[in-house]
Amino acid sequence: MTKSRRRRISTVVRYAVLSVWAVIAFFPIYWMIATSFKIDTQWFAWPPVYIPNPPTLANYRNVWLGAEEYTSTQYAISSQTPLVSLKNSVIISFTATFLAVFFGAIIAYGASRYRLLSEARMFQLLMLRMIPPIVVVAPLSLYYSAIGLLDTLFGLILIYFITSLPYAVWMTKSFIDEVPREVEQAAEILGASRWRTVFEVVLPLIRSGLVATFLFILILTWSEYLLALILSKTNVTTLPIELSKYQGTTEGRVYGRQAALAVGITVPLMIIGLVIRKHLARGFSFGMVRR
Amino acid sequence: MARIELHNLRKTYGSVVAVKDINLTIEDGEFVVLVGPSGCGKTTTLRMIAGFEDPTAGEIRIDGRVVNDLEPRDRGLGMVFQSHALFPHKTVAQNIEFGLRMKKVPAPERQARVRAVAEMVRITHLLDKMPGQCSGGESQRVALARTLVTNPSTFLLDEPLSSLDAKLRRELRAECDRLHEELKRTFIYVTHDQEEAMTLADRIVVMRQGEIEQIGSPLDIYSRPASYFVADFFGSPSMNLVAGEVVHEDGGVRFRSKKLSVDLTARYAHVPPGKATLGIRPEHVGVGFDGTGANVLPARLIEPLGKDTLIYFDDGTERAFVAVTEGLGKAALKVGTPVSLAFDPRHIYLFGSDGRRIDPK
Ligand SMILES: Nc1ncnc2c1ncn2[C@@H]1O[C@H](COP(=O)(O)OP(=O)(O)O)[C@@H](O)[C@H]1O
Ligand SMILES: [Mg+2]
Repeated sequence: MTKSRRRRISTVVRYAVLSVWAVIAFFPIYWMIATSFKIDTQWFAWPPVYIPNPPTLANYRNVWLGAEEYTSTQYAISSQTPLVSLKNSVIISFTATFLAVFFGAIIAYGASRYRLLSEARMFQLLMLRMIPPIVVVAPLSLYYSAIGLLDTLFGLILIYFITSLPYAVWMTKSFIDEVPREVEQAAEILGASRWRTVFEVVLPLIRSGLVATFLFILILTWSEYLLALILSKTNVTTLPIELSKYQGTTEGRVYGRQAALAVGITVPLMIIGLVIRKHLARGFSFGMVRR
Repeated sequence: MARIELHNLRKTYGSVVAVKDINLTIEDGEFVVLVGPSGCGKTTTLRMIAGFEDPTAGEIRIDGRVVNDLEPRDRGLGMVFQSHALFPHKTVAQNIEFGLRMKKVPAPERQARVRAVAEMVRITHLLDKMPGQCSGGESQRVALARTLVTNPSTFLLDEPLSSLDAKLRRELRAECDRLHEELKRTFIYVTHDQEEAMTLADRIVVMRQGEIEQIGSPLDIYSRPASYFVADFFGSPSMNLVAGEVVHEDGGVRFRSKKLSVDLTARYAHVPPGKATLGIRPEHVGVGFDGTGANVLPARLIEPLGKDTLIYFDDGTERAFVAVTEGLGKAALKVGTPVSLAFDPRHIYLFGSDGRRIDPK
């Protein structure tokens, strides 16, 4: 076999394998989107309906606008409040993520520049995050009920902030470490104060990294389920909790509307990702580009 | 005005002593070069003067005032870093303007001063570019301009040219020299390049393992090296340093090595017999072709450099023994030709087993 022929075959094989993998990976996402546009009789149809026919927006209307089309049928879910959950999710995850990145960056700056945290401490910080949440969730809910944080916005913001902080410190520290000390010192000896140096030199240089960290943590908090399930009841529901209601045993599985809700949960993150993709590419490859 | 004094200045990192109790006074307007091999503590010394490292012990004074506890920005110094350390997200103009903004200089004046220094170091065409678009030499000029514009009393430069190629280095070296002439400021310049030190300095401070080995004018350092180390460090090609011993015989004093034997004259009569090193610069080695004399060695390699020709010999030690002859007259010399080497007593150096120079009486 000639060399070029061998290379061609290997290319074909590679693409074949990757294509199969891509189909496997993307199929659930496709199925979610397709189902969200299906009429109710096609949700469970056998043989499966791959392309909604006719496509309908009924699921979206029903879930997001509370349209009454289905109220008389078995698919009605009395306590649906996706818009309220959306509001809660936005408030909770954006606030918690912002706080985590903000304080994480401050801690990371200290760790990077003043050696406030030793390697061991930094690792312990990350270890904290390796504890499976389910282990602490029961005692935590007792605490929360005792101090009145159960089922409050603040309670969830607080727990998301705390659990994200280690990630935020680790990620932002790696970006701060990449900023040469001499660049900061150049600013200092030119007359800039500590704060001026941070705002004029360090922050602009790690902006992409902060944005990448922000998105990473936002994804985690946006889709967090377990803590939200235990630490909130009916007052403060988030979108992942809302989504799970459509798996209820009493109402049966309302796949179409669950899919419509799921698409609604996914799309905002994808839009944010697209808007800031310039930062993401720079943020995640920062270390590789500089050295 | 800036007279900088270092008193018993010391810096340790754990068990590493980076700077070992050095004493040095740098006069106002002087161009002082700290020179020495990598790791000898030059950068640490400079960074302590700048205020980026706290001395472990000792004092730094600027114009008589102890500045140990003063922040870098309050010391009135300017620093040019080896890495240039430009702000990558600001244009060249904004880089230069930075120091003036920090000092709250009004905008119109800032513009004028940025333009003035840009002209001074010839980078006006770069003002709107980003540092990433500048070449190494250009960013070095920008770094200089950024420091110049704040009008510091003293310039601290840490190997500013080491990242540049040889031609550019010469060019910017001349630039530094010119700036010093024009500005009449104190310059403290760090380098590991002996040639840079020789051409730039009013005074050279040779450092070795955290200590000052010798302080002196370039001429001093070159013609009166205090030690083996200094003798070896300065000059290109470097000084011939031949290990051997001093012997007293027939009422005279001689230096003997494996293949060489040199009459040290009566001026060295006070030197006790024992191990020593003989030094002579390649340009002071006399060469003859009559095959007579005490030291006749075959030429091993002829290296015509244009202005001079270098002749290499094997004197039985690890390093080649080198003689320089002017012009290309000897370029056609055949390898193996016996050459008589002459050692003018006025130009030889003798170093004791402790490495210090032993002077003739
Ligand atoms: N931050 C530091 N931590 C530990 N050791 C250091 C540090 N900075 C310098 N040193 C050590 O101090 C010595 C002098 O370093 P330096 O001043 O950078 O030398 P030079 O600039 O002459 O090459 C070296 O042995 C170096 O390893
Ligand atoms: Mg150095």
